[in-house]
Amino acid sequence: MNLEFHPGFILLLGAISVTVLPLFFRRVVMVLAPLLAIAAVFALQAGTVWSYPFINGLELILLKVDRLSWVFALIFSIMALLGNIYALHIKNRGESAAGLAYAGSSLGVVLAGDWVTLIFFWELMAVTSTLLIWYRKAPQAISAGFRYILVHFFGGNLLLAGIFLKVTGGEPLITVLTGTNDLAFWLILLGISINAAIPPLHAWLTDAYPEGTVSGSVFLSSFTTKVAVYCLIRVFPGTELLIWAGVIMALYGVVYAVLENDIRRLLAYHIISQVGYMVAAVGMGTDLALNGAVSHAFSHILYKSLLFMGAGAVIYATGRRKLSELGGFFREMPATVILYTVGAFSISGVPLFNGFISKSMIVSAAAYNHMPAVELLLYLASVGTFLHTGLKLPYFMFFGPDRGLKPGKIPLNMHAAMIGGAFLCTMYGVVPSLLYQYLPFAATYEPYTLDHVISAMQLLVATLAAFWLFIPKLGGEPTVSVDTDWFYRRPLYYLTISLVNFVSSVRNGFGVWGNRLLEAVVPFFRNPLVLVPQTGENGPPSPFYQEDRYRFPVGITVLMSVIVFVVAFSYIWLT
Amino acid sequence: MSTNKVLVISGAVLVLSILIEMIFVHHHVYYWWHGFIGFDIIYGFLGCVAIIVVSKFLGKVFIQKAEDYYGGGEDNES
Repeated sequence: MNLEFHPGFILLLGAISVTVLPLFFRRVVMVLAPLLAIAAVFALQAGTVWSYPFINGLELILLKVDRLSWVFALIFSIMALLGNIYALHIKNRGESAAGLAYAGSSLGVVLAGDWVTLIFFWELMAVTSTLLIWYRKAPQAISAGFRYILVHFFGGNLLLAGIFLKVTGGEPLITVLTGTNDLAFWLILLGISINAAIPPLHAWLTDAYPEGTVSGSVFLSSFTTKVAVYCLIRVFPGTELLIWAGVIMALYGVVYAVLENDIRRLLAYHIISQVGYMVAAVGMGTDLALNGAVSHAFSHILYKSLLFMGAGAVIYATGRRKLSELGGFFREMPATVILYTVGAFSISGVPLFNGFISKSMIVSAAAYNHMPAVELLLYLASVGTFLHTGLKLPYFMFFGPDRGLKPGKIPLNMHAAMIGGAFLCTMYGVVPSLLYQYLPFAATYEPYTLDHVISAMQLLVATLAAFWLFIPKLGGEPTVSVDTDWFYRRPLYYLTISLVNFVSSVRNGFGVWGNRLLEAVVPFFRNPLVLVPQTGENGPPSPFYQEDRYRFPVGITVLMSVIVFVVAFSYIWLT
Repeated sequence: MSTNKVLVISGAVLVLSILIEMIFVHHHVYYWWHGFIGFDIIYGFLGCVAIIVVSKFLGKVFIQKAEDYYGGGEDNES
């Protein structure tokens, strides 16, 4: 019999053990758990279903494997390994555990067979990923983390509301909802769209990802949006609304990337741009487009984490994160420059790197689908991708004006993880069949035709020429860009403050007036004995406690009773 | 590298690519631009210029703000 384990549970168990083990064993677990998870993924058979009885006759389906969930499980466990190797030098056990648990819960979502299991792991992802932001401990990381988790709880609640409707409607299993257009459809679509960072619901991403820890942001860049893409493929294939949402995303990220000065925020805007390709492909819904979405998610996780690792290495070595403060130290970090460039070539779709084999599939699918505008606009977004991630960022980060920086040494494990990522980016780029054989839908694609290669080369070299002409205009500027997070960082902030002030002033007013009323009324309800002159023995009053003299006046109690009686009586009488 | 050198090299590569495209490439034409020799060069160059100009314009008009816009600058990693 074939032994099967849930790869997500292996990572979650690893996370729990990391919270108690000493440093050396923590490091062993951080490598061993993802390795076991990868092995577990390869042991999973398509068609396996684990079903457990839950309350009210519901069945929890903790594990359901088909070709779609399998390929996502594979890339998430590979990414868990790369991310943990990159994070191996950190000594904070909480951060190590959060990274493992975040990867594990992503696998939980991908392998979930019913809505209840999905929402459980969905919320676990939100919580564990927030920790990766908070562990940087800087004040702006704390507040960005709070904004991040509030947005995710909001999105999670929308999803949960939709799931309640589905489950109470007798549909506990995750199924395709395309075309149902009922309330549950919209709630679930909105909940997933927030995690997929579709504008205007995207600002949590670019707000929070640059604020994470150096290794935490590598994890963040890989999981949440791609889990959302998986859910879109699973639940909403062919929802046409998503085509234009995706095209807008792809260009939106490009426009903001021109203006961005923070290196990791620039990369974060290109996550939005790249996920836009996948969302547009889900909207097209043909087999080729969906295969394109899956393979682009697969490639994207590898090259984007590599780019975040490179940017993280720069931040680790120099302590700086802005283009306007970096530059001129490429001789000091040659390995990082080369490995970053592999990631940059991959995201830009340079032939022989893995972005080329997946992005071209989506652009071609748009053409085969007779959507000329979509094809051209997505093609334009790849110009922007090369311009920023491939040219502007490395030029101003490593080359450009020399700021006399003396970068420190980077731990060996960070280099090892980047080498692993760069190797995989190149391997899948050179031998695309290694990825294509696992694609879940029935469509074949040949990326390496002379036509495609020449087109890609012409586009990229022309972009390079234009970039070189515009270099003086493209340097980082010390500004921040307002995005849709403005709405909850400015107006909502002031609205909250003024509402709190209003409510406090009402409460204070009631307190003051209530006190005055009480002071005015209390004398009439005093203990009547006090009014009567002391009779009997003369002399000073007894020092002992006399209960008749000091008892709390009964009158107040009577007054209260009368008020309650009047209120209750008038309520009953009036209704 | 000097600007001229980069432009000359990329120009040479582009001319070479046009030659290869004219002689060897068999186009799958879905729309007219798929068969248009050198379309990708024009699209890449003009697209790149358009992205820079439009984004910078939007940035100047309303997107870019001073670093302390949300209260307090963003400090570097310490």
